[in-house]
Amino acid sequence: MTASSFKDELVHVSALNEYVYCPRRLYYQRYHDEIGTPYELVDGRSKHRGQAERGGWTTERYFRDDDLGLHGKIDLVESGDGTLTPVERKRAESGDYYPSDEVQLAGYCMLLECAIGESVNVGYIYLYSSDQRHAIHITDKHRRTVREIVRRISDMEVDNVPPLTDNPDKCEACSARTYCMPAETAILEPEKANETGWEGHG
Amino acid sequence: MKASEGVFDESVVYVTEQGTQVRTDEGRIVVWDVDGDGGELATYPTEQLDTINVFGGVNFSTPFVAEANEYGIVLNYFTENGQYRGSFVPEKNTIAEVRRAQYALSEADELAIAKAMIRAKIRNSRTLLSRKGVHGTEVLKDLGVRAENATDEDSLRGTEGEAAERYFDRLDETLTDGWTFEQRTKRPPEDHVNSLLSLTYVMVKNEVLSALRQYNLDPFLGVLHADRHGRPSLALDLQEEFRPIFCDAFATRLINRGTITHDDFNADNRLSDDAFKTYLGKFDDYLQEEFTHPYFEYSVTRRKAIRQQAILLRKAITGELDEYHPLEMTR
Ligand code: SF4
Repeated sequence: MTASSFKDELVHVSALNEYVYCPRRLYYQRYHDEIGTPYELVDGRSKHRGQAERGGWTTERYFRDDDLGLHGKIDLVESGDGTLTPVERKRAESGDYYPSDEVQLAGYCMLLECAIGESVNVGYIYLYSSDQRHAIHITDKHRRTVREIVRRISDMEVDNVPPLTDNPDKCEACSARTYCMPAETAILEPEKANETGWEGHG
Repeated sequence: MKASEGVFDESVVYVTEQGTQVRTDEGRIVVWDVDGDGGELATYPTEQLDTINVFGGVNFSTPFVAEANEYGIVLNYFTENGQYRGSFVPEKNTIAEVRRAQYALSEADELAIAKAMIRAKIRNSRTLLSRKGVHGTEVLKDLGVRAENATDEDSLRGTEGEAAERYFDRLDETLTDGWTFEQRTKRPPEDHVNSLLSLTYVMVKNEVLSALRQYNLDPFLGVLHADRHGRPSLALDLQEEFRPIFCDAFATRLINRGTITHDDFNADNRLSDDAFKTYLGKFDDYLQEEFTHPYFEYSVTRRKAIRQQAILLRKAITGELDEYHPLEMTR
């Protein structure tokens, strides 16, 4: 089998979120086009559509930056008192956002600042479930994390399937589960679950 | 442990009503009665489907085909009585990395996968016979061991052939009075039992084919069946383990429960149009019936089990798993 990687290719901002959730999930998505389509996603998509049509905002602007190695569409950029603030909408059922959402938002802020040549230190996460928006202060730590994850994603290779997640709870909500078969893998080839959250579930 | 999520069971649709058109309407797929005045006969969310099987005089609107391509929905065409005519396969169902791994399989890799499939088939033959109270099948057990130890494809094929012969010799004993199964014949089927078995193999082969396509394996490049132009060798290979437990079990059930009688066949041993419709309905129900998975221990439908085997095969081919784990039913 030939090895190939995503070197020389830009990383999509949404991949940051996927990677933080589970690297294996991102692997399936990128190499096998296999993430499944859970109904909540379908639902989220139609909500997006509705919102984008409403107008009044700058919606869905595409940004890319070769130095960062990132590209992606920002849902919505809000401009108030001369500052631009990216808004990322989330459909999280739990009424809360995840660290992976913060990383994704940090990626958007970094893309935006490259585009406008000014720092962007705040972004919003809007949650449909609670109709609340949360201001996130983007720190140096966020920025370092984004760069590190971009590097790791660029280093992914088709011959190296990332291990199962260390947190089986994530699998419960993972749309790639049908394909990934974490519990089944732990039963059929237990050594494949070693040192993952599925160890001992066989 | 709970069954993994997925929408496999509503993911395959059969359209048998003649004179209908399959169209798209705001994110849904609609079967419309064009010739008659039935209007909208059925509707499904586009996101949910991966395969549509149409029989005879059913057509697709052009926008629908574009949407099928976009959503990765495979369209299989059959004649009104179930002969396969061809497929529409969406562009996205060809993932280069998976194909590359499949084409790069070594002979040893292929043999290992084929052995697992045949071993399971022989095991499943014994299981079906014993479920029906047919005993004295130790010879099959020995042949299973022989399959396991085969060192080349020819000897594996030989073992498989011998096991099939022994198994079909005993299958007669599972049939209710008035039905006999002389000998497995293929073209043309010489009796009603053979006809029903042939039809069921075709139907299950199509399920397997859809599953392989769904997971981007090339169904025409086999591990055991010889590749021949137009022959879905890999589908035939993967089908082997399902033949006794899914195909033969279904055909004998139709006979033993009196769902299909001798009167349902035409002079050429094919099912009459009405009986074929009954058959299709029962077949779809059968695939949606659940059983307890022998290793995973959750309830799973037969259709989903077939899909899972396609995934497991793909994982063995791409090296994500070390070996192919066939579906082996021991009870
Ligand atoms: S099922 Fe679990 S291990 Fe597999 S991709 Fe999803 S989160 Fe990762």
